[in-house]
Amino acid sequence: MEGITKRFGDVVANDSVDFSLEEGSIHALLGENGSGKTTLMSVLYGLYEKNAGTISVNGEPRTFDSPRDAMDAGIGMIHQHFQLVDSMTVLQNIILGHEPTNNGLVDTSEARADIEEICSHYDFNVDQHLDTKIQDLDLGARQRVEIVKSLYRGADILILDEPTAVLTPQEIQDLLDVMEELADAGHSLIFITHKLGEALQTADEITVLRDGEAIGTVDAGETSEEELARMMVGREIQFDRPPRDPSDGASVLEASELRVRDDRDLEQVSGVDLSVQEGEILGIAGVQGNGQTELVEALTGLRDVDSGSVGFHGDDITETNRRQRIRDGIAYIPEDRTTEGLVQDYTLVRNALLGNQTVKPFVENGMIDWSAVDAHAGDIIEEYDVQPPDKSNEAKSLSGGNQQKFIVGREIEHNPDVMIASHPTRGVDIGSIEFIHDRLLELRESGMAIVVVSSKLDEIQKLSDRIAVMYEGEFIDTVDPVETTEEELGMLMAGHNTAEGDVAGENAPSGGVQS
Amino acid sequence: MSGTSGRLYDALDRAADRMLRASVFERLAIATASTALALLIGVSIVAAVGYDPVQFITSLIEGALGGRSAIARTLRFSTLFILTGVAVAVAFRAGVFNIGVQGQFVVGGITTIMSIIWLAPLLPEGVVGGVALIIIGTLAGTLAGGAYGALPGALKAYADANVIITTIMLNFIATGVVGWLVQNPLRGEGNAAPNTERIPEYVSFPRIVFDSSGFSIIGLGIALATVVVIYVVMERSRFGYDMVTSGHQESAATYSGVSAKQTVVSTMALSGMVAGIAGAVFAIMIQGYYTDPSGIGTYGFDAIAVSLLAANNPLGIIPAGLLFGGLESAGSHIGIYTDVPVQLIDGVIGLVILFVAVPELFRMAAARTGLGGDR
Repeated sequence: MEGITKRFGDVVANDSVDFSLEEGSIHALLGENGSGKTTLMSVLYGLYEKNAGTISVNGEPRTFDSPRDAMDAGIGMIHQHFQLVDSMTVLQNIILGHEPTNNGLVDTSEARADIEEICSHYDFNVDQHLDTKIQDLDLGARQRVEIVKSLYRGADILILDEPTAVLTPQEIQDLLDVMEELADAGHSLIFITHKLGEALQTADEITVLRDGEAIGTVDAGETSEEELARMMVGREIQFDRPPRDPSDGASVLEASELRVRDDRDLEQVSGVDLSVQEGEILGIAGVQGNGQTELVEALTGLRDVDSGSVGFHGDDITETNRRQRIRDGIAYIPEDRTTEGLVQDYTLVRNALLGNQTVKPFVENGMIDWSAVDAHAGDIIEEYDVQPPDKSNEAKSLSGGNQQKFIVGREIEHNPDVMIASHPTRGVDIGSIEFIHDRLLELRESGMAIVVVSSKLDEIQKLSDRIAVMYEGEFIDTVDPVETTEEELGMLMAGHNTAEGDVAGENAPSGGVQS
Repeated sequence: MSGTSGRLYDALDRAADRMLRASVFERLAIATASTALALLIGVSIVAAVGYDPVQFITSLIEGALGGRSAIARTLRFSTLFILTGVAVAVAFRAGVFNIGVQGQFVVGGITTIMSIIWLAPLLPEGVVGGVALIIIGTLAGTLAGGAYGALPGALKAYADANVIITTIMLNFIATGVVGWLVQNPLRGEGNAAPNTERIPEYVSFPRIVFDSSGFSIIGLGIALATVVVIYVVMERSRFGYDMVTSGHQESAATYSGVSAKQTVVSTMALSGMVAGIAGAVFAIMIQGYYTDPSGIGTYGFDAIAVSLLAANNPLGIIPAGLLFGGLESAGSHIGIYTDVPVQLIDGVIGLVILFVAVPELFRMAAARTGLGGDR
């Protein structure tokens, strides 16, 4: 793939990306959420039409209008969310769409033999389950069904989109072994991931994407987790850390021995202690997927904790729900503005009420005062420079940066005691980044306690008074942003605690500890 | 993209753009034109099969609007379609597919009748007692319908049971159980048919404006008041905002502090309550007793079409309900006064509904697919 560019409206998802895959090798595509990995592969697989660039398979330039074209060229994609029919058997799923027929009737005997041969060749145990329904298989087995399905359709090139995201550590190890066997047998694999350890362990080559650009391709044997972590988070622009006085306010938000599980019941936060003072910004750094999301959800009241407690002004609020915490004064800039922060097909006026449903004067006695909400939306737009300044626009018509400014404005105007900002500037243009940073620093000056979660090192270093580095569900260390170099942060993010030696041990996948 | 499909796409895009920009007046004009076109096609079929098309169309108009009793019949059906339509719309707007309005309607109706029968001996006869019994009976029916709606809501929230499936099953249960009750323990003394006792004569809506046995302007008033209340709840209350936001984008609702579980239960309860009001109005205004629900008409199912035609907007339910009421009324009139088979009448009525719905469906599809509008 050469010079691949893909734009969605004004957003450039891939900016002239070059990518080449050697036959019989595993090539990892590494990057944060939203760095353009899946977009790039969707272009290759014929799901998206590219705006520029060329794709060649075995030296021949090709264009794919649909996944079927890509499949015909020997490319198979295994999606993060399995494309299987739960109520059908393994055999039916594998032949779905390519059913061998005999006089118009589906003839499974031939397919059965073919599938059994594929399975025995690669040592898969899928063939024992050919007549089992998908819904009765565990996730690891379902994934092998997906792989067999692609192989059955004649794929030489397999794209695996974050294949380890849904698996337990043991299943991940099995999958990585399978991938190596496939490569040894001459298949070429593209392995999309944001987990450094897995990429290093399995891949031959690693390409890092950041903000839609290919930062570089390295040989897996000649790189390290620290180098990869630095490539992934990188730095966009040189931010100057503004001078400041140390805060000595009272502690506002505290968590102790916090343990939180994710939706799959895997522990993602494993005993975190934290405390944020008035007039302080606590930065939480780390490669995505190390429990930051679950930690933030536990602090904001969106997720139940397993054990441990959350304290606010000295009161235990572990059991209170999100609505109560909004009323108490915990504002939250969510990680995902498109699904959480804004209702996309509401106008900005209706969105100005989101999260304010219990706040006077917008709602009194359960009834909404739309004229107050309308005026509030106008104020946010004006004060936070939301473009275009039209409150009757639907949220989805705004650019990412302007959506984010609207959310930041709405949350600040709650006049909270604590602001939790999760990736406040992800996918936001430079101008808006500066604007949002300035606002957060102003809030700090005015005495607010702020938690900023980000995987951008420069942002964390600019904003934070203290940086806690999160790795595999724990705060591996808390450091001073002035005295810590980017290299040291990179080491910590990769799980190497300089002071205590290598706490992370071997390259265990960072999917969390299984229950 | 090839030339043909590109041109087709452009044409679709232009058409979608036109539909999205249509004003309310234009949309009404389109609906009227569609109705006329559908009737033209329907009448042609009627003529082709060998019946008198002129007689058909005259009976159709007479049946819906010809004189006081025809209008009363139209409004009687409309009242029920409006109430059940609003019940469906409430749930659909919140993204909950309540297919169980029929069951909630039945449970509300039988509860109204039985509470009136049981309490009547305790209250004075006459106007005061009648009004008190109507209020008590309607409240009882509303609460029973609400509880019967909350049940599948709770099953969804706490056991993750699919609302569509549970509400459909609860329809059968309501029909079956109430059918058994009116056959056996609740059958009125000396009744040959499987009916409850009649409620007392004085427990009925006053016959003002229309002197009709099955329709009172009070019933229509209750329906319109319910529409207004639901509209205000949806547009002006926190509860409505939470509910509609959940329907649009559940993750954003959760972010803003809405509990998804509580919302699905309260949405289903509210939807069931409106269905319960419909059941109470049906019981008091039309029947005066309760009978085997397998034979009382499928208002709760027709309501789904009413609500969809109104794009699940409470205010839109009024014209949609009037259209359905008029067609239902005309259909029964044609069935009695002409020899056109009932299947053919239903076919023509279906055609009218389809033609009215298609432009609106096209609008919705255009908005969803991103065709038309500014890009």
